[in-house]
Amino acid sequence: MLIAIRELHRVYEVGSEKVHALNGVDLDIAQNEYVAIMGPSGSGKSTLMNLVGCLDTPSSGSYRLKDHEIGAMSDDELARIRNMEIGFVFQTFNLLSRADVLHNVELPLVYAGVKHEERRRRAREAIELVGLTDRIKHKPNELSGGQRQRVAIARALVNKPSIILADEPTGNLDTHTGDEIMAAFQRIWEQGNTVILVTHEPDIAAHARRVVRMRDGKIESDLRQESSQPASKGSQVSGAAR
Amino acid sequence: MNLRESSGIALGALRANKMRSFLTLLGTIIGVMSVIAVLSFVEGLNRFVSNKLLNAGANVFYVDPYGFVTSQEAWDKVKDNPPITLDDGDALAGSVAHAANVVAQAETRGTARYRDKEVKAVSIHGRGAGFELIDDLTIDRGRNFTEVDDQRRRMVCVVGSEVADELFPRSDCVGKEIRLGAESYEIVGVVASKGKLFGQSQDRFATIPIRTFQKFKQERGSFGLAIKSLDQASMPVAQQEVRNILRGRRHLRPGQPDNFGITTSENVLELYRTLTGGIFVVTIGVAAISLLVGGIVIMNIMLVSVTERTREIGIRKAMGARRRDILTQFLVEATTLSISGGLIGIVTGVGLALLAGAVTPLPTAVSWPAVGMGIAMSGLIGIFFGSYPAWRAARLDPIEALRYE
Repeated sequence: MLIAIRELHRVYEVGSEKVHALNGVDLDIAQNEYVAIMGPSGSGKSTLMNLVGCLDTPSSGSYRLKDHEIGAMSDDELARIRNMEIGFVFQTFNLLSRADVLHNVELPLVYAGVKHEERRRRAREAIELVGLTDRIKHKPNELSGGQRQRVAIARALVNKPSIILADEPTGNLDTHTGDEIMAAFQRIWEQGNTVILVTHEPDIAAHARRVVRMRDGKIESDLRQESSQPASKGSQVSGAAR
Repeated sequence: MNLRESSGIALGALRANKMRSFLTLLGTIIGVMSVIAVLSFVEGLNRFVSNKLLNAGANVFYVDPYGFVTSQEAWDKVKDNPPITLDDGDALAGSVAHAANVVAQAETRGTARYRDKEVKAVSIHGRGAGFELIDDLTIDRGRNFTEVDDQRRRMVCVVGSEVADELFPRSDCVGKEIRLGAESYEIVGVVASKGKLFGQSQDRFATIPIRTFQKFKQERGSFGLAIKSLDQASMPVAQQEVRNILRGRRHLRPGQPDNFGITTSENVLELYRTLTGGIFVVTIGVAAISLLVGGIVIMNIMLVSVTERTREIGIRKAMGARRRDILTQFLVEATTLSISGGLIGIVTGVGLALLAGAVTPLPTAVSWPAVGMGIAMSGLIGIFFGSYPAWRAARLDPIEALRYE
């Protein structure tokens, strides 16, 4: 199992109060799954994403990624896991504004210690994959929203991670561009990658093969769906799950 | 992540904020610049002193009524000392065993004239025969005057090259009669040029025999005596002999202080060292303060930079940057900043020194140890004052940093 989560708790202290953002989550995700994590705000889906992305560590419980216990890791070990195993795609793209497309995409390889020539080659490959070769010297502010998100996807793919972790990847895009981005995730998944989407939009979740719903820090439902659904049908499936 | 990556990122960040970077660096620039400029000036003086003052007249010491006076109290003690006479000089010349040469000297200022030409403010020296050894001069044309010229108080002179050239632009001056003040003197020789010292010509003089000088220029008053010892090693012995003979001639009892003074170039050098040492200390003080201020400004701007770029730090951490990667990035950035300031300071400081050397008579020479020190100092400032902001950046929580607006 790629991801094995058992009895995961994450407690924040806000002033003197304790907030249970995650309250006993069990979740297994296998290689090459396409999972959407859904839930209203405050349901704990962002906390879960941060934990799965190794940006955070659990208060208690166990999170094993490729049989490595994440809870026991130091900051630097977590950084290494993020570098090697996780490819992030954010709602706000989170590109380095002063760096051009090429440099943004090769960033994970810089921290992986990949040599300059090799880095350039792999970054160009990833950029070609998202169809932005003609924009390689452009800065993020010279690109459209969809193009920026494709840069972010190229950056997420460049170090060949185990998991592509996307947090509301279409949240800042219009419907048409959003569809393009979702098509890109579809392709990535078909090429054998594991994709985890965090979203509150049923239309987006409909693209996934499995939908995990969260409420109040717990998993409410965990349903598999057969194939990629068009937007209208997607909402029906979500409706059925509710 | 290696150093090249970090410094590339750092230079990119500096370029992105050119004006701010420059203002940030002003303190460091001024600090390093003042150190370089002043040390270049001191270095110039040092070379100048060792070349000119010390080599000229090696193993020479001077006797006069007062010695090397550097304070009012010292002057009060010696101001009534009896004059040194030409007889004192003759006595020393006859009996100081370790002296190669004893030359009496005196000087005044006057105008040199030949027909309708004149040279004003000429130093008129009275010197005993053999002064060329003491003053480190060579006769370029003609001859020097002799002991006999001196004893007979002959009206002869040797002149510096500037006086010769101005009075006789087109013809040889040896054998011509010129007027120095009220009297006429025959030029018997011309001294080879010695160039300028602090912008002052060293060739604007005329030297006449000391007894001629005594007769026409200075009937009473004190003379100076310049004594050249046989070699470096015999300097102290020669000085002791001079003291003994002069004390004897003046009937000083044991325990009474000398009523004359002996000055060596060592005394002058000591004063010089004290002076430049003072300059040095003041410079270091000023530089230390401006570098401290410069360092604090760098720390401040790095803290601002860390805050501004919180999101960038979050992104880098999400992409796998470890604490030490972020730490290195910001340390290198602070150091690049401060070393840039140091380099600008060095260039302007050296430029200032060279400019001062070109347009003023001050001797300047680039002090390479100071240049090295400037670079090292500015680097250390970057590391020292960059540590805290870099540490703050490195320990940012990636989730908080990514959320930062």
